[in-house]
Parts: sequence; structure tokens; C-alpha cells
Amino acid sequence: MRPLFYIHQSSCISPQSSFEPVDIDQLFEPADNKLMAREPSYDGIPPGILRRMGKAVRIGVGAALPIIKGPAEINGIIIGTANGGMEDCIKFLNQIIQYEEGQLTPGNFVQSTPNGIAAQLGLISKNRSYNITHVHRGLSFENAAIDAAMQLADHQDNSYLLGAVDEISAYNYNIDWLGDWFKDENTGSGTLYNSGTKGSIAGEGAAMFLVNRQKENAAASIIAIKTLHTPDLNLVQQSLVNFLEQNLAEGERIDLLLSGENGDARIDPYYHACETLMGEGTTIARFKHLCGEFTTASAISCWLSCHILQQQRIPEHMLKRKGNPNALNRILVYNNYRGEQHGFMLLGRA
Amino acid sequence: MSRIFVTGMGIVSAIGRSLVQNHLSLREGKCGIRNELDLFPSKYAGVLPFGTVPVSNNELRQTLHAQEPGVTRTSLLALHAFNEAIADSGLSPEQLANTDTALVGASTVSGMCLTDELYHDANKKEAGSPYLSSYDNAAVTLYLQNRFGMKGVINTINTACSSSANSIVYGANLIRHGLAKRAIVGGADSLAKFTINGFNSLHILSPDKCQPFDEQRKGLNLGEGAAFLVLEREEDTTGKKVYAEFTGHGNSNDAYHPSSLSDEGEGPYLSMKEALDRARLDPAQIGFINAHGTGTENNDLVESVAMIRLFKNPPAFASTKSNTGHTLGASGAIEAVYSILNLAEQEIYPGLRFEHPIAATGLIPVQSYQKTALQHVMSNSFGFGGNCSSLIFSTI
Amino acid sequence: METEELKLQLKKQIIEFLNLISVKPEDIKDDEPLFGEGLGLDSIDSIELIVLLGREYGIDIKDPKEGRKVLVDINTMVAYIEQHRTK
Repeated sequence: MRPLFYIHQSSCISPQSSFEPVDIDQLFEPADNKLMAREPSYDGIPPGILRRMGKAVRIGVGAALPIIKGPAEINGIIIGTANGGMEDCIKFLNQIIQYEEGQLTPGNFVQSTPNGIAAQLGLISKNRSYNITHVHRGLSFENAAIDAAMQLADHQDNSYLLGAVDEISAYNYNIDWLGDWFKDENTGSGTLYNSGTKGSIAGEGAAMFLVNRQKENAAASIIAIKTLHTPDLNLVQQSLVNFLEQNLAEGERIDLLLSGENGDARIDPYYHACETLMGEGTTIARFKHLCGEFTTASAISCWLSCHILQQQRIPEHMLKRKGNPNALNRILVYNNYRGEQHGFMLLGRA
Repeated sequence: MSRIFVTGMGIVSAIGRSLVQNHLSLREGKCGIRNELDLFPSKYAGVLPFGTVPVSNNELRQTLHAQEPGVTRTSLLALHAFNEAIADSGLSPEQLANTDTALVGASTVSGMCLTDELYHDANKKEAGSPYLSSYDNAAVTLYLQNRFGMKGVINTINTACSSSANSIVYGANLIRHGLAKRAIVGGADSLAKFTINGFNSLHILSPDKCQPFDEQRKGLNLGEGAAFLVLEREEDTTGKKVYAEFTGHGNSNDAYHPSSLSDEGEGPYLSMKEALDRARLDPAQIGFINAHGTGTENNDLVESVAMIRLFKNPPAFASTKSNTGHTLGASGAIEAVYSILNLAEQEIYPGLRFEHPIAATGLIPVQSYQKTALQHVMSNSFGFGGNCSSLIFSTI
Repeated sequence: METEELKLQLKKQIIEFLNLISVKPEDIKDDEPLFGEGLGLDSIDSIELIVLLGREYGIDIKDPKEGRKVLVDINTMVAYIEQHRTK
């Protein structure tokens, strides 16, 4: 199976030590049911630009910086983000109310538009090529990745910056909390998955990738992606069966299922249904205790997959069930956003 | 690879609630921009002109049978245009629900049209409003997906004011790459206290009705609306009505400033050029340009400069934002529909209120209705963040 | 308020309002251009500074072009504030 594309460089700012130096064996715990990003010092971003950036833009640009400052020519910037600069958006909203639609400062307004991350990356790197932002809630990253695959099918020699980012702001946390999407009880990584209660813990992060169709020296490959919108569990299961049939070659199997399980008892049945489709040899691991639940968490799982494929080792705290892989060659990521948006990504060792 | 044909269109804007009404208004040079705003209380209601769709939310809810809690005006406008587009193309409910039918939407305002409700939900931890999952950009697309049980690839794009131009491109790409057989593509935005105050804080809202490409222009007027197009492969359109072929697109970033375009218009130039290259056309083959033409000092000058750079003697052009106001995330799709009407009807519609050409460029937009032979029409959309997009549609 | 005192207050306000990371009041010279070279501010900043003058000093500048004459450097801003402040 020819992959959609290869991942050559990956970079991640998350609530864990995912940015240099990388150490995901060590686990940072949530505080007040929130896993906040561990931000680096951003030495590479000029202060005049940094001062305007809200957190989403900052961690997005910060994570992308090692790639856009790298030697590879980048022929386009493809970003997924459900909300972009939510904090700036609400800051401007609060100004509207506080000053009763009087004289308002435009900075927050300009920074609030979700395409601000891709735009800022274009601006910093003076990259005038393809520039786009996918904002499809829990499938923003998957759609960005499908876009990258299509661009690369049309332009075989190109390289793209593909990535995703979303932030926790006090405000979107409130909205999602009111919507019953976060747990009421104080939850840590040890209790997240077996609480039996509704809701998850909040998270944020940014993951960025340099992708192209060159196999040589690649870190990993994305073999296939499929998205689905339905609350129907049987349809999800059937869709996964078809996905694996279409994309696993004869004799290939899934070595690792990286499950987006998030501790929300209402969503667990979907993950269990997909687990039952895996053979006994498949290892099952989880990642939401590392980054929390958010709209583009699947981008973090993609970064983790690259890391695991390269290291050929899965951190102990991620394991749910140990299979018997000789080597980690195929990783399936299944992520489910609120029981309605489903994404399957098949990754391969390069 | 398959040619991509447009087989259905639906639209709602300040100048009409249907394709037919919009067409008539364009021919007659009607302006839908008025000093009235009764959608929500605002300091600027009755003070600034807006391109409001003259239909209340209640009326939309009733006529569309859309009584679901949490439905916002943006979703209602989207549904209205979507319904017209799928009926126009004759798509069945089965086709809509098929895994090979894609939906690509775009919205920059989405549920933020409920600016006061969002403020309440975001700041308080009391009981939430019914709109908790209606605020994000994807909410409009997901409402349509859910309502029609759509199972193909579903996506939402935000490149600010060029958003729905890019959703058209993404949908066409899905078809070309075999990820969908047909795609319903477009966008919707409604007026909001949020955007009114946002653009006002940048001092780019005109106190008068906008005058695109006029030396004395004072800024833009915000508008609202929605448009959807049905894209299909040539081989699937036998016996169907076909409006036009989608032949080219360009996407470039100006990489200059978060909210204004560079003096030399590098982004606009590159997006128009890429669209021409992709359509394998010479500049002289473009018969008409539906310009971005917001009426701001910056846009109209830069767009003119870029047109002159690329075309030397630019073809006939005008901005329909003088009819509708700037509909933000919907404008790319709305103006694609207008460009396709140019082709389908072989006519050019007048830009309104133009008096004096910009001294530095001297370009004069079309000011009267003309019947003319057109083969290729370009539509420009440029957004904050330097996101520039150009589309080309052609007669088949 | 003494002019020197006002200058310092204004510098602090500008730093906070524009979130000028790692800039200290003493880094801003009174006659150093705010835009272009000097502090490197841009068009959005100029609008923000006009809002600052409105909120902190009750000065209402309607025309951004008028603003450009005021927002040259700290000296021109302070002179304008002393002449036009309403609070």
C-alpha cells in the first residue's frame, strides 16, 4: 500500500515534555481537570510579533518554528484548529460589552480569527504559497491531513507544513463545562479511564509535521485516513472493518491501536467496539491522559505515533493491553469526538 | 481527471431569497444595503448601513421547518441556500446520505451572531443557553450534515473572508481525487455585534453605502447571506442542467500583515496567476472579474494594482459587494454564484455608486448592465491573514 | 501632573496596552519614533494607541490621519495630552 505521504519532521508542544528535550515517560498531571501546555521560551519568535500572540497562535507557531526554520522548502501551510485564538475572541467580546460598543482595540479581533495561526506562519516565513485552515471541530486535523494528501497527489515533489492546534481558554472551558463535557470530580491520569462518569479532562496542544512523498529518511508514513459523522455505533464498527480491509495488505496486522478513549463513560462503548475488532496480538494504548480532551487531540496522537514508531517502544503509562508485537509497524489511531465525529488514521513505520 | 461541473446553486443575500431574485436584482442594479438593523440591539443599528437579509429568524425557522433548539441565524441562512441548491440539482435524500456525497462549508461568524448569548455562556457558570454547541465555525456545517444524515467527507474551512472560495476548491479536490462523487460546497455568515464592532475598531466600516474602486471610498459595509453550489463530475451530469465548469483556482498568502494587503499586492497577484495557470488560460481570455472590491482604502487600491500587474489592461470588472455588502465567509460562494450567472446568462451586472477612478490606477468598474459574450469569469476573495483566493469558472 | 511624570505614566501605559514584552519605560526615548524604526509599531498599534488616549485621557480622535500627527513620539503624544485631556 503506497502511503498518502511521509512524515519527515515532527514537533509538538503539549502538556507533557514533548518539545525538546522529549521525554514522554515522565507524566505531568492535570490541575483542576485541565492539562495545560508546557510552553517553551519562544526564543525564535521576534518579541514584536510574540507580544500580539494569544496562546493558540503562540503554541502553534512555537511548535512549527523548528520546521519552518529548517532547511526544507515548504510549499504550503495546512492547519487544523477548531477554535483558533478563542481567548482573544472572548477578550474582544468582553470589550464590546464592557465599553458598550464604544472605542475598542482591534488587536484581539484581528488575532481571534482561526486562520491566524496559518497566516502568522506564512508571515514569519514569508511563505506566499498555499495557506489554509480547517476548522471542522473534532475532525479539523484529519481534514487538514486529507488536504495535504490531495495537495501531494497533485504536486509530487512538494513538501507541506501540516499541523493542528487548539487551546484551553477560561472561556471555552466554561462553555464545554456547561455542555457537560468535563468531569465534575477532580481527576488525575490514574483515575481518568475508570471513573464510570461522564465527561473528560480539558487539554490543549499543538503538533506540526513536515510531510512529503519522499520515502528516504522519513520518520513515519500516513497510509490512510477516514472520517465519519454518526452517533451509530454499528456504522462506526462497520466503517472500521472496511477501512482495515481496504488498507491492510495481506498478512499485515495492526500492531498498536492508539485509542482516543477519554474517560467519558458515554463515549467508551465506541472505543470498546473498535477494540473488539483487533486481534489478540494487537497492543492497545491510550493518550488522552497526556494531552487531555480537545478538538485537535488526534494531532497529538499522530505525533506520539511517530515517536513510538521511531523508538519502537510504548511508554508504560499508555498501555491498556499488551499484545505480542515483534515490531511496531502499523499503528491505528481511532479518535471519537463527542460520539459524533470519528477519525481513523493508519500510520506506518518508514 | 474528471471535469468538475456546477449542477445546482442556492443563495440568499440582501438582494434576494433565491437564485432568481438575486439574478433579477443584479440585472436591475438593486442595492440591498440599508440603514436598518433589527436582528439584535446594537449601538450601530440605524447608524451604519448593513446588507441585511430582510427575513426574520422566526420566519426562517417556520418556512424551513427548523425548530431545533440551538439553531442560529447563520445555520438558518445556510439551510435556506442549501435547500435551493440541492433542489436545483435534483439530488435525492438517498444521494445526500450516500457516503460519496461530500459537504464542505465555511463560516467565520457561525453562532457568534449570538454575541450576547456567547458572552453569557463564556463568562458564567450558570445554566447554559441552548447554543453551547452552536458557536464554533463547524456548527453550521454539522447542522446540515446532521439534518440530512450525510455520511461522506464533511469539512469546514476558515480563511477569513476567502473561506467559502476555499470550500469550493476543497470540494472539487475531493471529487478529483476520488474521495467523493459529488460535493455540496459553500458558506454562510450572518451579521453579528462581534464583527460589526471588530471591523469598526479597525476603522474600515463606511458610514455611507460603500463605493468599491472609487477614489472617495470610505470603507466597507457588512452584509450577510449564504450560498451553496453542487459540484459533480462531468460523467455524472448526463441529462442534467449544467451551469458552468469549475476550471481554475489559486490560493496564495500575501505574507505581509494580519489585516491589510501589501502595496504591490503580491498575494492577490499570485492567486489570480495561479488560477489562470491551472485553467491553462492567458490573462486576455478572462472576460470578467467579480472583484473582491470591499470598498476599503487598502483592498481596492491593492486589488487594482495586482490586476494591472497581471492583466496590463484588466478586463471588465465590478464588485457585487456594492449590492450585498461584505458577507465575509459567505462572500466567496455568493460571488461564485454571481460569476456563474455572468456565464450562464452571458451578461455583466453593474457595480453601484462608482464616481471617480482611483487616481493611482485609473481603473473604472462596469457601471451598466451589458449583454456580452463571456467564456471565462474570475472571482476574487481576499481575507485577513493575507489569505487570497481566486476562482475561474468557464462555459462548457 | 508634571510633564516628566506624565511621560513616564504614558510609557508604562503604552507598554501594558500593547503588551510590549521585555520593553521597559526607560527603553523608550522621548524623541524616538514610535512607528517604523524605533519601537516598530504598526497600523493596528496606532489604532490601539488612539483607544488608549480615549480611555485614559478622555481624548477623542475620530480621524486616524489626525492620529498619525499625534502619534509621532512620546513628546508629541504628551504635548497633545496636556492640551486636550478631559480627565
